[in-house]
Amino acid sequence: METIWLYQFRLIVIGDSTVGKSCLIRRFTEGRFAQVSDPTVGVDFFSRLVEIEPGKRIKLQIWDTAGQERFRSITRAYYRNSVGGLLLFDITNRRSFQNVHNWLEEAQSHVQPHSIVFLLVGHKCDLEAQRQVTQQEAEKLAGAYGMRYVETSARDAINVEKAFVDLTRDIFELVRSGDIKIQDGWEGVKSGFVPNTVHSSEEVTKGGRQCFC
Amino acid sequence: ECCVIQCVSSTEELRKHSWSGIPREVRPITWRLLSGYLPANKERRELVLKRKREEYFGFIEQYYHSRTDEHYKDTYRQIHIDIPRTNPLIPLFQQPAVQEVFERILFIWAIRHPASGYVQGINDLVTPFFVVFLSEFVTEDMENFEVAALPLETQRNIEADSFWCMSKLLDGIQDNYTFAQPGIQNKVKALEELVSRIDEDVHNHFKKYEVEYLQFAFRWMNNLLMRELPLRCTIRLWDTYQAEAEGFSHFHLYVCAAFLIEWRKEILSMVDFQGLLMLLQNLPTIHWGNEEVGLLLAEAYRLKYMFADAPSHYKR
Repeated sequence: METIWLYQFRLIVIGDSTVGKSCLIRRFTEGRFAQVSDPTVGVDFFSRLVEIEPGKRIKLQIWDTAGQERFRSITRAYYRNSVGGLLLFDITNRRSFQNVHNWLEEAQSHVQPHSIVFLLVGHKCDLEAQRQVTQQEAEKLAGAYGMRYVETSARDAINVEKAFVDLTRDIFELVRSGDIKIQDGWEGVKSGFVPNTVHSSEEVTKGGRQCFC
Repeated sequence: ECCVIQCVSSTEELRKHSWSGIPREVRPITWRLLSGYLPANKERRELVLKRKREEYFGFIEQYYHSRTDEHYKDTYRQIHIDIPRTNPLIPLFQQPAVQEVFERILFIWAIRHPASGYVQGINDLVTPFFVVFLSEFVTEDMENFEVAALPLETQRNIEADSFWCMSKLLDGIQDNYTFAQPGIQNKVKALEELVSRIDEDVHNHFKKYEVEYLQFAFRWMNNLLMRELPLRCTIRLWDTYQAEAEGFSHFHLYVCAAFLIEWRKEILSMVDFQGLLMLLQNLPTIHWGNEEVGLLLAEAYRLKYMFADAPSHYKR
């Protein structure tokens, strides 16, 4: 049975190959850390419910994209229907930080006429000894693009929850203020099942009829 | 020991015998023959093997050092970071000697095929060949076998044979990996059209919940179902793919359709987008073996012949 949620947000996770996109999402959605995993090809789908205020639940649908250039023609199609995004770089890999600008350009050129609320994520912050990007410069870059910045570690479960929840709250505020509007034919934001309405009781009846007895 | 070498006189006959699965003992030689790497003519085989193996190591000598060149360093970097992530759960593939073999094979293939270069997914395609050619020298517990303990000559032969057989496979599906991946785009469209004809319920169910075929079938094409099946099943599947004319490039489409329909009950019981996508990304094949693959292939064969003359449902 469908859990009750206020809104459904679609998020996209982008960034260079091996910055840890899949690991971060798996930590968030499955609560575990895989030491190694196959490289993502194309796009994988994940989902989780988050509670942003007591009783206010948002359903997140998360698209995990392949970092390799050759898959861009596939991953591009997912920008348009995303309301939010996590742009990851690896704090131990300077090059992945230098590519942040390219990723933003790539996203912006394929999201028109919509826009995506991005969060900049410095990943693998448990590897402090190998750090190649300082927190200050990452914050400065994020500020220049009007993004928040957070450092995370999927391995040690640092700020993983915070990254997704903060982004979700920001989007929620923009929806509440009317800056982001629900539109037909756009999957970025959908309105959810609200309890005690005709709509939801219909859903319940329908679900009942479909149950396997 | 081996009726393949002794009795099977023509390649045609060999294909016929191989379609329904090749016995483990003769699989290495049969794969070399079916892939077109080894000539059907027995007298020429030894010479060809020797020459091709030398040719491969000639490429290594000539090109492998260029992996640090400005022009190739991105290609090498991507291969280098993907190899430890290839078959991550099987200890065999975590051995440095094995990882170096994969790196060399993939790098040489990539620079010799600049139209596609190295694309993630191609790394998976080395695995079945490597495992099958290694199986000639390992009787049990292959997953933990120490490859570095084999004579150097043997290691080199396995590497060269894996390279050439993988190259033959990729020759038939290179448009899966060129710019914008047209081979995959076309095959996913063809899959959608095929499913709309063979199982309207499943097709309409996807439509109703706004599931697009590309969302799950991209990987089925890009990695030839290797991410969806245990390795032993892929090896069995490839017996047939190599026995079929255009097995990897064309018959695979029918296998994907049969594979999808295999789960129709589970699919139809999911009544939201996310349940469907999670199911399709994680189909429970972990227990699958020869029997399941055999049934899958039989169904694919049936579909192929039923729809072979259907108007333009699949433009090659």
